[in-house]
Formats: sequence, C-alpha cells, structure tokens
Amino acid sequence: MNRFVGMLLFFAGVVAGLIALSAGFYWVAGWLGWGFNALANAISGTPGVVSPGAISFGASVANIVTLLLVLVMTSGALLTTAERKWSAMMQNRIGANRIKVFGSALGGVPFLAADALKMLTKESVEPRGRTRLLYQLAPALAFAPVFALFAIVPVGMDLDPSQIPGLASRIASGVVQPIGLQIARLDAGLLYLFAISSLAVYGTSLAGWASNNKLALLGGVRASSQMISYEVSLGLSLVGSMIAYRSLQLNEIVVAQGQSVFGGIPAVGILLQPVGFLVFFASAFAETKRAPFDLPEGESEIVGYFIEYSGMKFGLMFLAEFVEVAVLSGILTAVFLGGWHPYLFEGWLQANLSPFWFAAVGAGAFIFKMTLMMWLQFTVRWLLPRFRFDQIQKLCWKILLPAALVNVFVTALVLLLDPSMQLLAVVGAVTIVAIAAITVAVGRAPAPEAGHGAAHVVAGH
Amino acid sequence: MPYPLKNQPADLRESMYFPEIIRGFGDLARHFFKNLFFSRDRNPDVLARKRGGFGYSDNVTLQYPEERAPYPPGYRGLHRLVPREDGRPRCVACYMCATACPAQCIYIEAGEYADDPIEKYPVKFVIDEMRCIVCGFCVEACPKDAIRMDSGEHTPPSYERAAQIWDQKRLLRGPSVSYQYDPWLRRGSPSISPEKLEEMRARAKPFPSVATDEASQTPGFSVRALAQEARERAEAAKR
Ligand code: SF4
Ligand code: SF4
Repeated sequence: MNRFVGMLLFFAGVVAGLIALSAGFYWVAGWLGWGFNALANAISGTPGVVSPGAISFGASVANIVTLLLVLVMTSGALLTTAERKWSAMMQNRIGANRIKVFGSALGGVPFLAADALKMLTKESVEPRGRTRLLYQLAPALAFAPVFALFAIVPVGMDLDPSQIPGLASRIASGVVQPIGLQIARLDAGLLYLFAISSLAVYGTSLAGWASNNKLALLGGVRASSQMISYEVSLGLSLVGSMIAYRSLQLNEIVVAQGQSVFGGIPAVGILLQPVGFLVFFASAFAETKRAPFDLPEGESEIVGYFIEYSGMKFGLMFLAEFVEVAVLSGILTAVFLGGWHPYLFEGWLQANLSPFWFAAVGAGAFIFKMTLMMWLQFTVRWLLPRFRFDQIQKLCWKILLPAALVNVFVTALVLLLDPSMQLLAVVGAVTIVAIAAITVAVGRAPAPEAGHGAAHVVAGH
Repeated sequence: MPYPLKNQPADLRESMYFPEIIRGFGDLARHFFKNLFFSRDRNPDVLARKRGGFGYSDNVTLQYPEERAPYPPGYRGLHRLVPREDGRPRCVACYMCATACPAQCIYIEAGEYADDPIEKYPVKFVIDEMRCIVCGFCVEACPKDAIRMDSGEHTPPSYERAAQIWDQKRLLRGPSVSYQYDPWLRRGSPSISPEKLEEMRARAKPFPSVATDEASQTPGFSVRALAQEARERAEAAKR
C-alpha cells in the first residue's frame, strides 16, 4: 500500500515536473530570442529596437537545444532504462536494480551512467576488410535522420513572447511572431517526415555492407527490404489525416484536432482515423526495427547489421533505435492523439490560467502522451515474438497496405459527403466499436479442462 | 503442461492479427500496472509470501544474496563435522568416508588423544569442496554419524580456489549430537567433568536405524531455523 500511495505521488510529481519543464522550454526560447535581439542591436548599433527576426531566430536555436538535446536525447537515454524496468514489470520480475546510490536503486536510472561508461571506454575493434569510409559513416547515418525527424514535431502551442515572465515589459504584445515549441514549421510537414524517415535505412544497410561480414550483410538486406516495404503503408496511413485536417503541417493538424464534433467530443485523430492509427503504429514500429520486427537484428539468428561494431559506434546505433521510438511517439501524439491539447478541463484551464502557464500545461500534456505512446511501443515489443520474414511481408502488403488504401478512399468519400468531420467521426466511432467487438469476441474455444486431463493420460504423464 | 493443439489453419479473426494482439496487450498491461502500483511481499519467510492477491504484485523474484529460498529438508548441503557436546569432533579418523568418496576429495590425518577413550581423532580433516560431487557417500559411510550434509546451505562462492578447501576448523560446527553407545559416554573421559558427563548421558539418543531420517530433521540447524533467524533479523531491524 505504501508503494501505491508513493506511485500516485510520483505520478503527480512527474506531471508537475513535465509542466515545469515545458514552462522552462518556453522561458528559454523567449529569453534566448531576447538575447539574440540584444546581440543584433549591439552589432547594428540600434539599442532598444525589437526585431522580430532576431527573436524568432533565437527561439528556434533555443528549441533545437531544448527539444532535441534535452527532450529527445533524455527520453532516448531513459528508454534504455525503461526497456529493462518496464519489461521486468510486464514479466513479473524486478529488473535492473544492482547499482545503488545511497542504498536506493532509483528505479534503475543509474544504469545509464554505467552503460555510457562501458560504451565509451570499450575498445573499438574494426574488421580488416571493411570499407573504411562507409563503415565509419554508417552509425552517423543511422542516427542523424531519426534525430532530424523531430524537427517538425510541435511540442507546444504558439505563445506570444510578451507573455513569457520578464519579457512583458520589454516586448509589446502582438509585435513579434508567436513562439511555438517546434523547431521548423515546414509547409511540407509530413512530406518531410516521409523523406527523412526513408533516409534512415541507409545507415543500416551501409553498416551491413561496409563491415564485410555475411551476417551483417544479411541484416542490412533484411533491413532495407523491410523498411522499404513499410515505407509505403507508413505514407498511406497518414494520407487520411492529411485529407481530414486539410494540411500537411503538423502544427495545423494539431490545431485542427481542437475542433469539436457533436458539441463536446474533440476531433482527435484516433477517433477520426482509427485505422490510420493502427496502420501507422504498426508501420512506424517496423521502421524502428524493434521486436516483433527485429529481423535486421535477429540476435538469435544473424546477430544483426551492427555485428562488427563495438564501443560507442554500436552505442550510437543502439541509441538511434530508442531515439526513433521517442520521435515516432512524438509524431503519433501530434497526428493521432491531439498533440498539445490537454483535453481534460481544457476550457477551464484556458480561462483560468495565464497564457504562459496554459501553454506549459499543453506542452506537458504532449510529453505525457508521448511517454504513453513510448510505453505502448514497449509493451507491444515485449508482447510479440519475432515474425518470420514472409509473415512480415504478408502483414505489410496484404493487410496494412490494403487497409491504408481503403482508409484513404473511405475518408475522402466521407469528407466529400459531409465536410464538417461529423460523419467521419461517426465512421471512426463505428470502426472503434467494431474493432473492440472483434477483440472481445472469443474466436476459438480454448482447450477445455477435460482436454488437459485426457492429454495427460494419452501422453502417459 | 502440454495439451493438444490441433493444427488448424488460422480462422479469419486470427489472421487479422490485430484483435489478438490487442487482447494480449491488455493482459500485459494488467501485469504491468499491478506490478507498478503494488509492491512485493517482503516477508523474510519466503515460503509464506503472498503473491498476486489484492495489494500484492505478481512478482516472483527473490533478491538472491539478500533473500534466499530455504532448501528442502534432506538437501545435501555443505559438509560439517558433527561436534560432541564438549566441542571435540565425533570423528574417529577411520577413513571410511575418504575410502567411499568417489571424488577422493577427503584427506584425513589421524592422531591420538592422550585423555580420551577413543583411540584416534583427525588431526587434519580436509574436504576439497571444489572436487566434491555432493554425492553424500561420505555421510552414508560414516559409522559414527560424524560427518553430515545437513547444513542447509551450499558451498559459498569464493575468489580463490584455496578458500574452497575446508579444514576441520571450518567444518566443525553446528549442533552437537550424542548417542548412548558413544564410548566417551559409556566409559567416561578424563577430559569431561562428571557433571557434564551426566548431562551428556541424559541427552544422548539411541542410534537411529535409518540414519537419513534423523539427519534430515536435525533441529536447530535446518531450513526452517534459517527462515526463523531471518524473521528475527527482520524484526530486529524494524525495532
Ligand atoms: S559428498 Fe561424495 S564426493 Fe563429496 S566428499 Fe562426500 S563422498 Fe566425497
Ligand atoms: S567422518 Fe566418519 S567415516 Fe570419516 S573418518 Fe571420521 S568417523 Fe570415519
């Protein structure tokens, strides 16, 4: 019972911490913008001028640091611990707890330091016949695109810089562009996502090719065939959302999810596009190369495309996987879970909090949902054993791709009939109910108790 | 537990993958939240631990070096040389155990007591626990019930091989045992005071016809006793 209360307190602390963290992100963005403004003034000798360009630029720089280096890297690193602890909880184990700081295992978090130390100090052994340049390049090629994907994810809503504490007296409201916790507001949005996510396969297949090892090559080939297949359904699964929200830009998609259909119900992506969600989730999972789609690694059969990598080069590939989980969770959250809309008590919060704190709550909600999605991915990873290769291709081409295609046509048709998403929401709700019904329905009677006994007799036990 | 699985092709619902995956997901999530929100039963008596009911996690793990599952009675554990009540070993250095030992890991050097009715005693009694195959033949062979494997613990690990060579100083431990036919009780011994001798005679038992029965029920040095000790330690820690 102590643990129960402790966990509730812990979660309350986590939520409060996330909100404080997001507030910090906004604060850093605003003040770095102001700092760049001061710098621009000092250079051009015009004190006291507020230049919107400098402030936006500074805010973007701050976002790169806070979102990429703090948010994504930290969650990627923490996921290595989470993998151990969460899987342990799912399997009725305790999990990593042998490194203790002042007698407390701290939930296994100190293992991060141990892992990092091990990876960094390990000897880097390189195979003789490697292709030197590609061999060195591959870990970076595997890591960079995954990392760059997060640039388009809108973590927080737009906020006028004058609302940030301390800046109100310096910047008049409405003068400069609002600051959002998003690194790049590309109009191409989701197209950028498709473009960059397909680049990640180069890292893995080059690693397999360059290390002059048959098993690594097999891993690389598997990775490329798998990832190129799933690229198709990944793209198609998001087309429905693009049609529904009439935008490619992730921030606009999130804003559109704040509309309500039938009064109180928000037009959240998972309600309008349940099939798109499932297909995108599965395809994104295949992109991360984690079980059950871990054929490129397949540690029990071919060890994987990184078999010849050691030390931090391996560490980078390992980390890329976890960062990819974090990034894809961010995209899932933005497209299907309503991004930074807290939804719970949203109207009340908006009315009673200052815009700064409302934005912070929104960004906190985003990170919370993102964590939930990461947890979902881990649960599925520990739920399923590795597919066979033909099953993987069958799942992609015979199930996910047709489902995504049908989804696109149905979405388009429904929106043609009723442009105000209400019919789409009804169709989505019906789909969800149907999926739930099929799930709850018992397909095949489990082997009866009598069957057990009979089997014993037959088998001579 | 095997039961027959008919090799049918997957039906439509199964070949849709997702419904079954969602179901399995629910199962896993239930375990996750149960283990997240409820703690393990930390009862030091690991056999009495509660698990899985309301308020307890489904966790089965024992934190090994700190928590140990007691070995079952009759477990062939680390050897011990059984002492007499006056602290000397019961062993008469007859070499039966060394002869019976298939691994030839018992080394005995015999000596003589000046003041005792038994002629011989082991000046050196060394067991190489690393060579021992834990067969228990030595226990069976001993005519004096002087060597037992009832300590309820396995050979502790060590960093050096030398630490696995147990001599009589380390082997001689545990509760003492006396039998009515023991020569030092029947004839008396100059090394035992008369009052002590009376006490020992009063406590002596007839020799058991089935030696292993008795050995598996040694009071005070058994698995139950270890669990009891652990419980007391935990009580003391709480206070
Ligand atoms: S248990 Fe077997 S191998 Fe070990 S000392 Fe006794 S007789 Fe020898
Ligand atoms: S332990 Fe028993 S069998 Fe071995 S030498 Fe001593 S009396 Fe003989």
